[in-house]
Amino acid sequence: MQNSPSHTNAPYTLLPEDPSPARPPASSRRPVKVFAATAASVVFLTSLVMLIVNQSPETPTESDHPPRSDPLTSRATTSFSRDAGRLPTGVSQGVSAKSYPSVRDRLSYNWTNAMFAWQRTAFHFQPEKNWMNDPDGPLYYMGWYHLFYQYNPDSAVWGNITWGHAVSKDLIHWLYLPLAMVPDRWFDAGGVWTGSATLLPDGRIVILYTGDTDESIQVQNLAYPANLSDPLLIEWVKYPDNPVIVPPAGINPEEFRDPTTAWMGPDGTWRILVGSKVDGSGIALIYQTSNFTAFEAQPGLLHAVNGTGMWECVDFYPVSTNSSNGLETSVVGPGVKHVLKASLDDLKKDYYAIGTYDPVSDTWTPDDPEADVGMGLQVDYGRYYASKTFFDQNTGRRILWGWINETDTDYDDLAKGWASVQTIPRVVTFDNKTGSNILEWPVEEVESLRLNSTEFDDILVEAGSAVLLDIGMATQLDISVEFEIEGSDALEALEEPEAIIECATAQNRTTLGPFGLLVLADKSLSELTPIYFHIAKSTNGSLTTLFCADETRSSKALEVFKKVYGGPVAVLDDEKFTMRLLVDHSIIESFAQGGRTVITSRIYPTEAIYGAAKLFLFNNATGVNVTASLEIWQMNSAFIRPFPLEEM
Amino acid sequence: MKALVCFLLLLLLLATLPSPTRSFEFPAREMADLIDQTCRLTPFYDLCISSLRSDPESGAADVRGLARIMAGSVLATASRTLDRIQELLGQAPDPETERPLAYCAELYIPVVKYTLPQAIEALGKGQLGFAVYGLSDAGKEAEECEKNLSGQGGSPVTEGNELVRNLVDVAVAIIEILQRSF
Repeated sequence: MQNSPSHTNAPYTLLPEDPSPARPPASSRRPVKVFAATAASVVFLTSLVMLIVNQSPETPTESDHPPRSDPLTSRATTSFSRDAGRLPTGVSQGVSAKSYPSVRDRLSYNWTNAMFAWQRTAFHFQPEKNWMNDPDGPLYYMGWYHLFYQYNPDSAVWGNITWGHAVSKDLIHWLYLPLAMVPDRWFDAGGVWTGSATLLPDGRIVILYTGDTDESIQVQNLAYPANLSDPLLIEWVKYPDNPVIVPPAGINPEEFRDPTTAWMGPDGTWRILVGSKVDGSGIALIYQTSNFTAFEAQPGLLHAVNGTGMWECVDFYPVSTNSSNGLETSVVGPGVKHVLKASLDDLKKDYYAIGTYDPVSDTWTPDDPEADVGMGLQVDYGRYYASKTFFDQNTGRRILWGWINETDTDYDDLAKGWASVQTIPRVVTFDNKTGSNILEWPVEEVESLRLNSTEFDDILVEAGSAVLLDIGMATQLDISVEFEIEGSDALEALEEPEAIIECATAQNRTTLGPFGLLVLADKSLSELTPIYFHIAKSTNGSLTTLFCADETRSSKALEVFKKVYGGPVAVLDDEKFTMRLLVDHSIIESFAQGGRTVITSRIYPTEAIYGAAKLFLFNNATGVNVTASLEIWQMNSAFIRPFPLEEM
Repeated sequence: MKALVCFLLLLLLLATLPSPTRSFEFPAREMADLIDQTCRLTPFYDLCISSLRSDPESGAADVRGLARIMAGSVLATASRTLDRIQELLGQAPDPETERPLAYCAELYIPVVKYTLPQAIEALGKGQLGFAVYGLSDAGKEAEECEKNLSGQGGSPVTEGNELVRNLVDVAVAIIEILQRSF
């Protein structure tokens, strides 16, 4: 057996000083129309770039009316540099930090309009401008999917929060509607915060949302459509006797928010959850109602976990363990497990656990107490927060939304005029191969955006090398790739054990990896984002596969927050290593093993943009070669725009 | 002489009588002109004419009314196509045939239940953009259904899918006439 690892004549390192990859671009079987599409997109992009370059530089947005919340919105951007010690936006108002100001603000990169314009996504939901955060009240009604979202109509940083509103027939092509709710009552004067919708059996819709009162107390309010025969649900009414729930004794009035969708108990009444915190434990409080105007606090909690801190955006829903169908929120019974999820304020991460719900005692118990909520699995291991599911009764799917914040600075966001994106909605199912996690997968409607595709079969990527994939434009892609390691069995013994099994930079070479894709990389690899598998051996000899995204070299801009994200992923005996990536300008959604582990990344290249952005395969292993087969689609824009609401 | 006078009187009488064909021709030509003129501006003239003429109210309708009648035809055709799909599903076909048919039914159900009725209502309220969006969506779903079925060695509902798409194109073209005039 060979002891020395094979490598090419030009060993590949991921350092900027070594610009050229070892191999020429891979050829492929390519349909003729790819050339036409590439030519067309080059022409389009050239004219787009020329258009942008001819515009006068943008000035950062300043708020007109006195912001009742965030002091940042009233300041000119030039004074940012004086403000090294200010709080992250939101914290002084009693919600979790929505951004991370840093001293590096004044080190902000010299962004051009072209660079900023490139960052806008083509097929992910985002408003035309300004700040967005948590998705709210998603639902399907009379032929339309509705999305509401936390939105600041005045600035690109958090503040003055309203409910934005958009509709779509297919979860992909969204049309903006007028704001659904604004902070115009005492019970939500500080902000119309996060909430959920419940569709009642008689056809009515109720929304419960957190209002930040004029005295900064967090209360739960009721709202409903003004006109149920309007399929667009444009107008909303706030229940005149709001709030319907106020913080109970023993609960901090600034730690009581984000009511869930209701589910029906065995006694025919409804239950909802509101997240909070007691003595450092995250908790889910239960409220019971029969009419959504009078609520009764239940004596017990659905669940609590020590040391996890404040639970924001609690979500609680059933999954079927024996079918791939979604379940309506009230379903209980055999073949059903319940997912409990919380957004941890302290860590800014979404955690979940699968367990059993007892509808009689209204308690939930995790299947694995060692991996309880906040201790085990994350919904998404990347830049991701405030996720929320809903049951799509049109197609019988459980669908997951998640908010993707920026990782550049407030200063950058104000300069470019917008912040935040939503993920492509994902279908959630129970993984009955592992029995211990959920699977998330982009809704199949995203495939309607696919244009031409390029296939690569069995490309050999030798140890320590990268292969440029010749696909034309590489900024709007749907990539499916599977990897096989050659001769891995014999080399297991060579793997150095690692004390801590976690994602580290892709430059750390081991015998079996990392290997994967280099996304949004320029030809000289001065900027690159590796998305990869890393097989680690623990000190007890067992192998764990990690799925990682390394943003540390994704951009030359110094002020961008760049780290390595990722988590473990189970790769079963009969499985190859598979990844699916949705690349859409400054957002990448990466799915391993059919959605067992997901990482969302925000990337702000200064060089690897437009036609300079390329896609590579890479294998940084020292001991094995890898073969890869891929199918890569160019993705069309979703043309998200205002709803054509004109009247004659 | 008498015969001649009679003959001349007869001629005179005939000359003064209003010509039945001519007087009915006059208003009828005007109505046909509107339907005719309208259909000339659509991509499927014959389909447009036959669709509109088969509705008794089309004779007295203005362009907005013609748009509503055409949208109604789209709905009727989509409903019939959905019925046909469900009939075929009811015949318990093999799984290979069943899957694409079930997919088609899933596409058509919201179209028939929500999208087209909403588009027709929007037309009545003058919300032309909304109506166009809904009709176009219906056409896309029919196309998607056809794409999925065609791989199965011919589609039993091809006629329905094609008809829906063509009627949608006609309806949208008629609405565009309305949009241009404002």
